[in-house]
Amino acid sequence: MPWKQGYTISDERTLDHVEWPDAARAAAVITVDLGPECGPDGITARDLESEDTEYGMRVGLDRVLDLLERHGVTATFAVPAAVAETWPDRIREIAARGHEIAAHGDRHENPSKLARAEEAQRMTRATDTLAAVAGARPAGWYSLPRPGDRYAGGALSPHTIDLLIDAGYTYFGNGLADDIPHYWVTDAAAHRCLLTLPYYYHSDDQFFLMFPTPGRGSALERPAPLRANWLGELEAARAFGRCFAMTIHPRLIAWGGRLTLLETILTRLKDGASVWTGTALACARWFAARCPASTALRLEPSIWQDHPGSLS
Amino acid sequence: MAAYRHIQGWRYPDGVRLAVNFTIDFDAQLFRRVLNEPPLELAGGEFGGRTGIWRLLELFDRHRIGLTIFTPGRIAELYPASLREAARCGFEIANHMWEHRVPEPEWEWDHIQKTTAALEAISGRRPVGSRSRHRLALLTRGGYRYTSSGAADEIPYYVTHDDATVLNLPFHYALDDAMYYHFGWLASDNAGQRVADCDTVFDIWLTHFERLYAEGKYANFCLHDFVSGRGLRILMLERLIGEMKKRPGVWFPTCAALADYCLEAFPPA
Repeated sequence: MPWKQGYTISDERTLDHVEWPDAARAAAVITVDLGPECGPDGITARDLESEDTEYGMRVGLDRVLDLLERHGVTATFAVPAAVAETWPDRIREIAARGHEIAAHGDRHENPSKLARAEEAQRMTRATDTLAAVAGARPAGWYSLPRPGDRYAGGALSPHTIDLLIDAGYTYFGNGLADDIPHYWVTDAAAHRCLLTLPYYYHSDDQFFLMFPTPGRGSALERPAPLRANWLGELEAARAFGRCFAMTIHPRLIAWGGRLTLLETILTRLKDGASVWTGTALACARWFAARCPASTALRLEPSIWQDHPGSLS
Repeated sequence: MAAYRHIQGWRYPDGVRLAVNFTIDFDAQLFRRVLNEPPLELAGGEFGGRTGIWRLLELFDRHRIGLTIFTPGRIAELYPASLREAARCGFEIANHMWEHRVPEPEWEWDHIQKTTAALEAISGRRPVGSRSRHRLALLTRGGYRYTSSGAADEIPYYVTHDDATVLNLPFHYALDDAMYYHFGWLASDNAGQRVADCDTVFDIWLTHFERLYAEGKYANFCLHDFVSGRGLRILMLERLIGEMKKRPGVWFPTCAALADYCLEAFPPA
């Protein structure tokens, strides 16, 4: 059995200490998910024309962009290609205001059951579409969860990371194996890997604001735990010197008093010990330069064995 | 048929008013793999093995309080360095099945033996406790002295099943971190998710602790490496332990040390 195949994607132990830009105590990366609510097959024409989507791409997006600008924070926008095709001017405006445009699937589909060739084809189409709309090829790829997903971490196929390496991507945006950037290894012998940025669902607004969806329960609006999680994550990032990964959706967080919550967090980023904020790409580049896989990725030889009567 | 024997006249050694067992179910990604969950769920479990467990070890070592790590035997092949560090800190390493499942009956004894051997090899001590649904007759045959699952009482008690009797240190879901923080725990559906924050869980746990302390009962906290190893939850545990330490007579033994006391002071029948 080769290197813990099917069990691990990275080395056995995290880096205890990471230096951040500007000698900051911690880092914070805000990911803005522009995907409309959709099912596992991805965004449909109907999803694109819903009231929630209209709000998120117009009024909601304006409110989020203005707030980020007032606080001097640049963010990464995870954009499904179908959204870029529908609102090309909005995507160009986001980029012009200094934010990063990253890919978020062709239609934010769940790729886990796709054949490798089909997934590669969709990845190429998404990359080309975003490059044509935004004027630059995306360097990051996201596969964030949908509110109806059974699992809250996002969905990958067994091939996704390998295909992203082939396609020249710099990073994958929503990994769960660490709270700092880390390397997702696809071939241990060859040290083939892709830099992966942290994500965690308890810092994702969609699991707290009318979640899962009206009609499926009461008291679905729960800003208090979201606020506590965001503040707690920020405090922990400062205490442990880690990267606070915050995920927001303009169709959700911009509305009414929810924006006050976002404003509170953006204010707290600047209060207290210094926290570097920047795009996911800036964070990835910094980390890759400081902690390149050639030295930072420490793959132990596998002692994993096949045992009769056990899973392999 | 299971039979329960509740301990009469429960009391602690002189000076002790409550025993608190902190336990970690150190599963990392192993159970996610057994459940055949998708790649990012496995990565979420992997967080526990490569990051979370180290923070938890540091926290409990710094506080100089007992810790029991229930871990599948196969974790010794996935994260050997963390288990060696746990043993070096003096923490107890106990059985949590071979690969987080009770196998087909013909393999069950083999799994218990493999787990015992793997954990003894890495820690230098033979495990004496198990958090599992293994048959009690096989656990006692394997030298296990206690279990920790289920809550038929708020204090330790004896369970008899098929003529085998074992001390159980009760585990209650109200003191299980994953019940509050983990999305989709125990295959619960989306409409049932209320992912909680640390302040809420702190209040709930402190309330349970205070009542159990006042009544001289017993508290067994179940933490997971990939759940409580997240930074903000470490900070919450820090606050919680601080509150507990303010009270006189709180004893933080390992589960094995508490089991030794129970078996001696309140022997089975």
